[in-house]
Amino acid sequence: MKLIDIYIQEVTRRLPEKSRADISLELQSTIEDMLPDDYDEQDVKEVLTELGDPAVLARGYRDWPQHLIGPRYFDGYMTILKLGLSFSTAIALIAYLAQQVAGFTGEESILRLLPAIIIGAAGSVIEVAMHVFFWTTLCFAIAERFDSAKDGQPFHKWSPDDLKDLPDRAKERLISKVEVYGGIFWTAVWATGYFYADHLVGIYENRGDGLQFVTPIFNQDVLQLFMPVVLVIIVMELALSVLKLYTAKWTMRLATFNTFLQIISTSVFIMILTRSDMFDSGFITYMDKVFNNGWESWLVNGAMIMFLLGAAYNIYDGFRRAAKH
Amino acid sequence: MNTLLNSLMTELRRGTLTLAALSQLQEPQYGYSLVRSLEKAGITIEQSTLYPLLRRLEKQQLVTSYWDTTESRPRKYYTLSSLGMEVYQQLKEEWLHNSKRLHDMLKGGKEDETD
Repeated sequence: MKLIDIYIQEVTRRLPEKSRADISLELQSTIEDMLPDDYDEQDVKEVLTELGDPAVLARGYRDWPQHLIGPRYFDGYMTILKLGLSFSTAIALIAYLAQQVAGFTGEESILRLLPAIIIGAAGSVIEVAMHVFFWTTLCFAIAERFDSAKDGQPFHKWSPDDLKDLPDRAKERLISKVEVYGGIFWTAVWATGYFYADHLVGIYENRGDGLQFVTPIFNQDVLQLFMPVVLVIIVMELALSVLKLYTAKWTMRLATFNTFLQIISTSVFIMILTRSDMFDSGFITYMDKVFNNGWESWLVNGAMIMFLLGAAYNIYDGFRRAAKH
Repeated sequence: MNTLLNSLMTELRRGTLTLAALSQLQEPQYGYSLVRSLEKAGITIEQSTLYPLLRRLEKQQLVTSYWDTTESRPRKYYTLSSLGMEVYQQLKEEWLHNSKRLHDMLKGGKEDETD
């Protein structure tokens, strides 16, 4: 009977290859069991009605999850998605604007360029957001399917002791969201500044028709030498911000991590500053015209002292706030 | 209202299906014979639920299966494994225990209403 064969095909084509033959044989024999000895098409239709929609039947046979991301992963998925989307879009926006600033020739007025810039910025934000959304979803969907503990057990058994490590969110949030997101924003800003230093960080002068970029301060080639360690610092800073968001208060561990971060970034900063070829030659010429001899050591020493003091205060502040609670 | 009631009833019945199927599998049964013995006992079960359920029980090693090809048409027989037997006994006890409690409680509730 043709209807029966097609019905069975409709079920088994939705199933994994290895179980098809067996299920198809079983369905065949079941359907024949249900039919009277001398059956016509009407009987077949009745039996198939009883078995119901082949898609529904196939769904019953499959033990592959019928959802993209299940309850076990959903919370984590949403958290990562929110973090990822907010960070990546902020960074994409800053990077896009930085590129625009870097490529700004001044031939056209800002006002006329504005619509194109807004559309471009929206485009790059949407593009990054779609990437983050897609890859996060893909990773979680794969985890959902290859997770061996499928019985919906949570990752770790909850106990009241877990509460001790958590902040009381009814009280003031000990690390404000402003601090966390401000930190991330700052990382994005200085990282953009670092990578586009030859277009962004420089001397600007007002020559009547808006600010003009006169000369970059730093020698981009020299900056670029430190790229690997700068990338490490960027990752560490972002990690610190995410940790702050998670713990919502300073802990000794956080303060220790912060200390490492401050020491590394201060060392790198000093290493960059003390290189003799660090300044762009245009900048040196410019400064020589404006200041007396010796401005270079003033600038370098001043920047180093500021940075050292800042880092020292930052480390101290972390431990102070961790000790308070 | 009716759809809500239907879904609640389906939910109530869902957990009992495994127990009902296990109870009938102490002797080897093929799919359709299981449907009929359940129907004879007054338990209706969607066939599209039952056949996949048998496969799942087999995967969980509660039942074993074999093909009988001696008769006019080949049939796949399912029967309880020793693990399945053990699980069935425990589920049965749990069910009897619980349904007695629930029964008593519901009866008590009814008496309150008539007061």
